[in-house]
Amino acid sequence: MLELKQVNYLNIIRSVSAKLETGLVGVIGPNGAGKSTLLKLIAGVERPDSGEILLNGQAVHEMKSKERAKQLAYMPQQVPDDVIFSVREYVEMGRYAHRTGFGTLTAQCRQAVAAALRRMNLESLANTPLGQLSGGERQRVAIARCLAQGTSALVLDEPISSLDLHYQMSILNLLSQLAEEGYLIVMAIHHLELAAQYCGRLILLNDGCIYRMGGVEEVLQPEVVHDVFQIDAKVFKDPYHHSLRLSCATKV
Amino acid sequence: MRIQRTNVRVAFAVLIVLLLVASFLELSLGPVNIPVRHVFVNLWAYLAGRRSEDAVVMGAIRLPELLEAGLVGAGLATTGAVLQAIFRNPMADPGIIGISSGSSVGAVLIIALGVANLNQWFTPAAAFVSGMVTVYVIYRLGTIGGRTLIHSLLLSGVAVSSLCSAVVTLILSLEPLQTMHQILFWLMGGLDGSTWLNVVMVTIFVVVGFVVYLTQSTALDILSVGEEQAEGVGVPLQAVKQLMLIVSALVVGACVSVSGVIGFIGLIVPHLMRIWIGPSHGRLLWASALGGATLLIASDVVSRIILLPIILNVGIVTACLGAPFFLYLLRRQFSGRMGAGV
Repeated sequence: MLELKQVNYLNIIRSVSAKLETGLVGVIGPNGAGKSTLLKLIAGVERPDSGEILLNGQAVHEMKSKERAKQLAYMPQQVPDDVIFSVREYVEMGRYAHRTGFGTLTAQCRQAVAAALRRMNLESLANTPLGQLSGGERQRVAIARCLAQGTSALVLDEPISSLDLHYQMSILNLLSQLAEEGYLIVMAIHHLELAAQYCGRLILLNDGCIYRMGGVEEVLQPEVVHDVFQIDAKVFKDPYHHSLRLSCATKV
Repeated sequence: MRIQRTNVRVAFAVLIVLLLVASFLELSLGPVNIPVRHVFVNLWAYLAGRRSEDAVVMGAIRLPELLEAGLVGAGLATTGAVLQAIFRNPMADPGIIGISSGSSVGAVLIIALGVANLNQWFTPAAAFVSGMVTVYVIYRLGTIGGRTLIHSLLLSGVAVSSLCSAVVTLILSLEPLQTMHQILFWLMGGLDGSTWLNVVMVTIFVVVGFVVYLTQSTALDILSVGEEQAEGVGVPLQAVKQLMLIVSALVVGACVSVSGVIGFIGLIVPHLMRIWIGPSHGRLLWASALGGATLLIASDVVSRIILLPIILNVGIVTACLGAPFFLYLLRRQFSGRMGAGV
């Protein structure tokens, strides 16, 4: 369980409190709202000026790096494009906290890496240098590295940002599956329609504060969307797929 | 990329053969030429206490010089590989953390004050101490709010190194010709006058440093991809950076204190090895050690024979190799970026 208690960081994040258990949680908001910073704080990359972030009862920024990496995997917004390591070598890096001695991979590590590659459909690219992949493929590799880490919590900063529609949906389907299996996945997402369709819970950030938090219908109220994004939008139930959809209309 | 095991074996076999060839040439060639087939005979004679001219040249002069060249080359090259990973910059070398320029100030000051002639250890000791102080100053300047920021460290290194260079130039301009010559000799880097004591001292620092580097090889792999990536998978970033900077400073400080400023080995070798055997530091560190040792020994051989009877400082040879290579890297990096539309 992840708990944020009155978290403040510089002037970017202000008095953010939340309690998250399992499921797919989307962090939405306009540019500059503080989404990436909030994820960095949750991942322990940045330390809050005040307040606490607890993961299973332990303060994230007090945990040792390896201990934290065994419980929470973090995917930064930018996946490097100049890396000459192969896809497999990059995914193996996700097992850093589980390695022994001089960095030797255990049999369990190799199994986790193979499973992550299989799950992200990357087996055929395993020996290709990461720098030779397209943006979308690199994004899948980065998610595979998080999966290889073997944690029950994933913090993903815009995991579908450079993917085409097919991969956007396939990754969100995969994340939904993981959420159903008991993972807690917190992801920043710009695409409000896909957030409405796939996320079980949303955190709407505006100017560093939580503007609204809860279920999709609760958060994406027309007046809320209008206030924060200055667009007209309405949530409705898709009669074909029986999932929630967001219809964005005229720009104000 | 994942390199075939056979290719890695071939690469290491080639490196070992090159190191052996360079070592034999180092023992054999110079103002006194000793045929390669007589190398072992003379070495054995020296160890057995027979002091013929060739045996003394071999055992008391060339063997310590060979070992010192090998160790200094290996130390500079492995440290270059480590710093390139930490700075995520293929153009980083041991000079980037200010160790070379800092050491120069101490050594030049001691020579200028005339203290250097009182004891042979004064110059290396002053170089080592001032190098360490400089690295510490740069580290403090590059650390803000308890975090060592790579860009800040890099820029602090450039600024402090420039300041040190200015101090060295100032001292040089104030000194009489004879002292100036002695200072320039040290600044250009050389392996003349190697002693067994030097060899023992450098061995301790380089070997211990190498083992520490190896224990962090996986962390270095991940750091070379990016700091946020490294933090995400549990690399204790600040601790690893601190450890690597301290050990780098100690290794390079020890090397510079006995050989003077030898540039470009730490730049060229890791870069070439990365192209040849891949980016994984588990292999890269070993290959850099072998490559660095080979390159400095070979440069020393060239410095001895290219203008016989004049013996050049080895630093001149490495600079002649390194400067064009550095420019090539620079152009390659920029043309790559232009090609990628960045």
